[in-house]
Amino acid sequence: MLSHSFLKPAVLLAISWCSVTTLSAASVTTNAIQFNRDVRPILSDNCFRCHGPDSGNRKAKLRLDRREDAIEHGALIPGKPEESELVARIFNDNPDDLMPPPESHRTLSTAQRQLLRDWVAQGATYEPHWSYIPPQRPAVPLVYEANSKNLNPIDAFIRQELSAARISASPEADRRTLLRRLSLDLIGLPPTAAEVAAFLKDKSANAYEKQVDRLLASPHFGERMAVGWLDLARYADTVGYHGDQNQRVFPYRDYVINAFNANLPFDQFTREQLAGDLLPNPTVTQRTATAFNRLNMMTREGGAQPKEYLAKYAADRVRTVSTTWLGSTMGCAECHDHKFDPFSAKDFYAMEAFFADVKQWGVYSDYEYTPNPDLRGWNNDYPFPPELQVDSPTLQRRIKKLEAEIATTQAEGWRQWRTNRNSSRTFSEWRKVSRAWLKHSPDGWLTPFPQVQLDVKGTNASNGTNFLVEADGSVKLPRPARENTTLSVTLTNGWLAAIRVEALPQEVAASAKNKKPSRRAGSIKLTAKLVIDGKEQKLPIHFADADFKVDRYASTETVIGVKDGWRVRGDRDQQASVWLLERPVEVKSPTTLVVSLGAADVASVRVSVTPFAAGKPLESGASEALRRDLRAGRKSPIVQNSFLTLLSPDYLRQMRPLLADLRECRDGRAWVQTVESREPLTIRVLPRGNWQDESGEIVAPAPPHFLTQPIATDSNRLTRLDLANWLTSTENPLTARTFVNRLWKQFFGAGLSAVVDDLGAQGEWPTHPALLDWLACEFMQPTIGKPAHAWNVKHITKLMVMSQTYRQAAGPRADLADIDPNNRLLAAQSPRRLEAEFVRDNALAIAGALNPEIGGPSVRPYQPPGYYVNLQFPDRDYDADRDDRQYRRGVYMWWQRTFLQPMLANFDAPSREECTAIRTVSNTPQQALTVLNDPTFVETARLFAVQLLSHKGTDDKRLEAAFQQALARPIKPEEVASLKKFLATQRAYYVANPSDADKLVRVGNAPKLNSTPAPELAAWTQVCRVILNLHETLTRY
Amino acid sequence: MPMPFNLDEFVRGVNRRTFLGRAAYGLGGIALASLLDNRLIGSLRAAETPDRWRGIINPPHYPVRAKRIIHLCMAGGPSHLETFDFKPELKRIHDQPFPESFTKGNQLAQLQNMVLKARGPFCEFKPCGQSGLEISTLFPHTAEIADDICIVKSLHTEQINHDPAHAFMNAGSIIKGRPSMGSWLLYGLGAETENLPGFVVLTSAGKTGQQPVSARQWSSGFLPSKFQGIQFQTRGDAVHYVGNPDGVCQSTQRQVVEEINRLNGVLAEERMDPEIQTRIAQYELAFRMQTSVPELTDFAQESQATLDLYGVKHPGDGSFASNCLLARRLAERGVRFIQLYHRAWDHHGDIEGGMKSAASDTDQPCAALVKDLKQRGLLDDTLVIWGGEFGRTPMGQGTGRDHHIQAFSVWLAGGGIKGGMTWGSTDELGYRFVDDDQAVHVHDLHATMLRLCGIDHTRLTYRYQGRDFRLTDVFGKVVDGIVA
Repeated sequence: MLSHSFLKPAVLLAISWCSVTTLSAASVTTNAIQFNRDVRPILSDNCFRCHGPDSGNRKAKLRLDRREDAIEHGALIPGKPEESELVARIFNDNPDDLMPPPESHRTLSTAQRQLLRDWVAQGATYEPHWSYIPPQRPAVPLVYEANSKNLNPIDAFIRQELSAARISASPEADRRTLLRRLSLDLIGLPPTAAEVAAFLKDKSANAYEKQVDRLLASPHFGERMAVGWLDLARYADTVGYHGDQNQRVFPYRDYVINAFNANLPFDQFTREQLAGDLLPNPTVTQRTATAFNRLNMMTREGGAQPKEYLAKYAADRVRTVSTTWLGSTMGCAECHDHKFDPFSAKDFYAMEAFFADVKQWGVYSDYEYTPNPDLRGWNNDYPFPPELQVDSPTLQRRIKKLEAEIATTQAEGWRQWRTNRNSSRTFSEWRKVSRAWLKHSPDGWLTPFPQVQLDVKGTNASNGTNFLVEADGSVKLPRPARENTTLSVTLTNGWLAAIRVEALPQEVAASAKNKKPSRRAGSIKLTAKLVIDGKEQKLPIHFADADFKVDRYASTETVIGVKDGWRVRGDRDQQASVWLLERPVEVKSPTTLVVSLGAADVASVRVSVTPFAAGKPLESGASEALRRDLRAGRKSPIVQNSFLTLLSPDYLRQMRPLLADLRECRDGRAWVQTVESREPLTIRVLPRGNWQDESGEIVAPAPPHFLTQPIATDSNRLTRLDLANWLTSTENPLTARTFVNRLWKQFFGAGLSAVVDDLGAQGEWPTHPALLDWLACEFMQPTIGKPAHAWNVKHITKLMVMSQTYRQAAGPRADLADIDPNNRLLAAQSPRRLEAEFVRDNALAIAGALNPEIGGPSVRPYQPPGYYVNLQFPDRDYDADRDDRQYRRGVYMWWQRTFLQPMLANFDAPSREECTAIRTVSNTPQQALTVLNDPTFVETARLFAVQLLSHKGTDDKRLEAAFQQALARPIKPEEVASLKKFLATQRAYYVANPSDADKLVRVGNAPKLNSTPAPELAAWTQVCRVILNLHETLTRY
Repeated sequence: MPMPFNLDEFVRGVNRRTFLGRAAYGLGGIALASLLDNRLIGSLRAAETPDRWRGIINPPHYPVRAKRIIHLCMAGGPSHLETFDFKPELKRIHDQPFPESFTKGNQLAQLQNMVLKARGPFCEFKPCGQSGLEISTLFPHTAEIADDICIVKSLHTEQINHDPAHAFMNAGSIIKGRPSMGSWLLYGLGAETENLPGFVVLTSAGKTGQQPVSARQWSSGFLPSKFQGIQFQTRGDAVHYVGNPDGVCQSTQRQVVEEINRLNGVLAEERMDPEIQTRIAQYELAFRMQTSVPELTDFAQESQATLDLYGVKHPGDGSFASNCLLARRLAERGVRFIQLYHRAWDHHGDIEGGMKSAASDTDQPCAALVKDLKQRGLLDDTLVIWGGEFGRTPMGQGTGRDHHIQAFSVWLAGGGIKGGMTWGSTDELGYRFVDDDQAVHVHDLHATMLRLCGIDHTRLTYRYQGRDFRLTDVFGKVVDGIVA
């Protein structure tokens, strides 16, 4: 292999903002000492703790991070190592003089000491830290190789280093491996057998590129990309502190998925999340994006100090922004100047100050000792405002689907009914009675004259029993508080299906405080019974709803309907609620209906009844359409429904779960926590991070002092939008590098600078610094091809996966075990265990059981019982989804911060309490237990088996199909032999133990397939369990 | 059916190849650390070999006095004034205004913006044992082990709300993602058993005074997840997913695991990838855990006398008493760190009823645990720590007490602790520790705990985001005075 190239020295500009004045050009020869590559790591790790940027901890007034200080102090005399104190101290036998001091438990190796001596001898030159210099696009190295036309610029940089190390690149992986890798990397799902076959058949020159384009255009691309971003954004469904209450944020998750799918430019993505509300005429989507700033943990704990928690929330935002965009560990500067990087404590608080206008409360409750007038009366079930109501396309799609199902179920119900004997006669009798009813009550509602009984609180209640019944049947109620208000009416004959209560709220007279008379909220809780010949019959309520109500909350969700109590609004006049009976009743002789309304602290009420109940309570009674169709003798759906509701219990049983699901869709609307801008709070430097210490100086929003400053804006004070613009300016040295470095990790296993959350002094000198800079520049200002815009995520992603470097066969390679054990030179691909969500997705997809729906409220897969027993305020239940939501992707799983779903936790998903850029990759017995025994995987194995058994074929053929589906490759002879033996054992066992077979094939919600005998299905389920547990299945090669 | 390989050989093989093994899989935090600093190769080894016997501290820095720790966490914050710190003067000024000289400038929780009044202890104290330690009469069984325990009255913390105070007690920091002390210990010393997790958490709750507790409290944070605490459940499987699926008996499950490992063995022959060997070993460990966990939680072998000693009515019922007995069984089986949470001590109101109830649920089992460990010869190398995340105010809050962080009491026993002694003291009202030399910060407790386990707390470090982190941050001093 021939290779010849020149890496042009990166042109380092003399940069005025930097205190380091001496710059050395990166050297062409590798022998010369490079400060950033060779010296800085040693100084940072061993010396900066006491002789670095942190002024509070500095010993002997010496700082070694700045050349002029070190020289002035006498520690360094360039060119004269013998006279330099630094050299004298590190080569020292006297423990009192030795540096680093023995008690630090740090020692320099002989090589390190020699290197420092040589560095001083060569002039002790410094460089500004590499990541703080804006990247300049380096020239792409020239590579002379036989197949160099297949190489893209990424390959040029990689091959240059490989040939310098005399290592040959690996050949391209076979197509099956390549497509499985690409698919898992880009959409988090394995390729289908058909997709593999199509790719194998495609002989065109750009066959691979076609696959890349297909996957980049897939709506699942956004789901895959979102996982990493949601870790950074600390996206979760609960608030994290103390009671860990639920929060309403899923529209933000969907925003992120959509943004990646739409290839929203990263600078715009940044602006929308940090400052969407400050954009001109912000859209609902842009305001949804600002939830990013509201994903910090929050508390509602009694006794918590609002100011302390506001400080915690603010500090969290600084850590999040600095990790996500700057790849920096600014968190250290909350209490003191950073020990290794030039961030000062003031920088930390100046960054906080950007977010001082984010409206938020320290404690989301109202306690006597920490009163919070904004949230008066709030309890643990309430949301975490400010919030925004938005459309959820997922819920809207679900509504359409349910409405179709409801229509089908109704038609089917009618068809079923018609098969009964006497069905026609019953129907025409009902129609006769109904038409008669409509004669005296055209809107379907009848208001009988009520008898009223008022139970009044206390003994001194003489005038509390006065009431007045008006001509329209409404009852004017007296003022004093009542324990119960009961109305009794007499029904003569006919059906009773729903009860309506109309109410007028109580008037509050004008006073000194309230200038005008007003109305106040009241509450009504309805219970009903019939009294027939002195015998009582309870009438349970199925569901109730009202046209106006004060919202009530349960676990942060608005309670649907008013069955558990109707809170009448004070800002409205007449309001109505309709209560559907669990079972409609037919009254044949004079009967008393007793309706209790609880306290009923309203001005007046009126109770009416109807035989016409609708699925949506408020549509009960007789609409114009119902009247018309009844008159015309038309058996329209609305007529059928009114009829079947009364006479077919089967019909109700089938319809009601669908109607309940429909209600759960909340009209396709959802709430999301959002940012509202307020008058900024005063932000001070908190000495040692102590929120009670008010002695620190007041700071204005500003980026870290040593980085380029933003252009002044119109206002005096910099805003979040200014911050976003500064972060995504091409002058910002960190943002683009941080992003492309993380993205590199996604496709190659490690960042070019491996500590992707720390590009500072304690991070790693990049393995391919020129490539990192080239990628950063290409990301900000694309030049290759014709990408539509700058900051182009799909463009830079495509460049990475199109590279030959990416397409290489996976290592490890025996010949590199000693020279490049960590595969940092990338002479091969690095195999990787799938991340938690994709372990799940992969299994479900292999089994053909995945529900590919996108977006919507979080879903609840099976979870061990009692897992939330240590949660309180409020107590929490976990009801696993019973429908097709059970089979949705991992990215949609309910994310409980304090008790993360065990499957996610076992596969190293973070709790998202804190911004996370790196997930650990562990290999534990807990992972084995999960894939072996978690009902999700057991059921998935069964569904996989069902699928295999649905095709006719021999055992061999089925095993072959199983491997093609799971691993995108043919099965090997030794695998067939082994699995056939295993299958035989399992068959023998389950034939002999049919009850065990029956149990195994019933794990999970999915109905059992009846056509296959249980022992056969159980035996194949065992085979599929084996396949889903294989190391190869869990690994992307 | 014979296994196609020898597991022990595997483990040894994996040890040899560990460094390479991690490297093959891209770089997590650990592998990177090793690149930056060769000294950390040791930590790499500790983190990633399935050999669960050795930790990073090898050999130990000091003689190992405690091989394992049982932490009896009285969650919610028990009052020191009704347990181990008797204050006659506080009793005398009961219901009178609390002197402002004590409280000025100090952080309060639910007493913010309230008038502060003294609240005297409602119970009596008695000198107990040969040593005459003063212990509240609410704890008659603890009185019987007075000569085995060391009461520290001068503990203080920095966090006044439950959630962060637990975090501080466990991790020495309130920043999320810091490892808990159990994880640190496991990382430092490794595990003595391969069949059970090395760090086990048991929870129970009383009738009142409950506060939630988060799984974050036993998180391994930035340490690899193999060091995380595993919470045992009282419902369903004791350990998540440790039970076979319905319709799969132990022997068919064994066949499944063998088949998985056989096929993984086929893969291993083709690919020079030690991660495959690790996976095979983990499936073996998982299967062993499936056997050993049911054995562990089967109390049939325990005598009636033992059950009576602890006051266990229904073994395995998730009560604190049952958990204490389980703790002993875990200790016997080599589990390194065992943490029991009893959620019952947050007595803002009705402290009298609440304390009596919580004490009667916990006093006997705690004392029984110490006695039982002692009679089995386990107390010598088992450190038992009793205490909450903070104490309670000498000022009353209605019929109860608020959170208090200036001083509170814990006791320690076994594992190199001097029995029958008291360390530190508080002022006459029990508000703050008095003698700075005997004050014990949470960091000091951690430092002492590690010392008893043979570890210099300044040398138990892990590199994360470019910094070497410690359980004790940059603080902590060993309380030599309580070490035997």
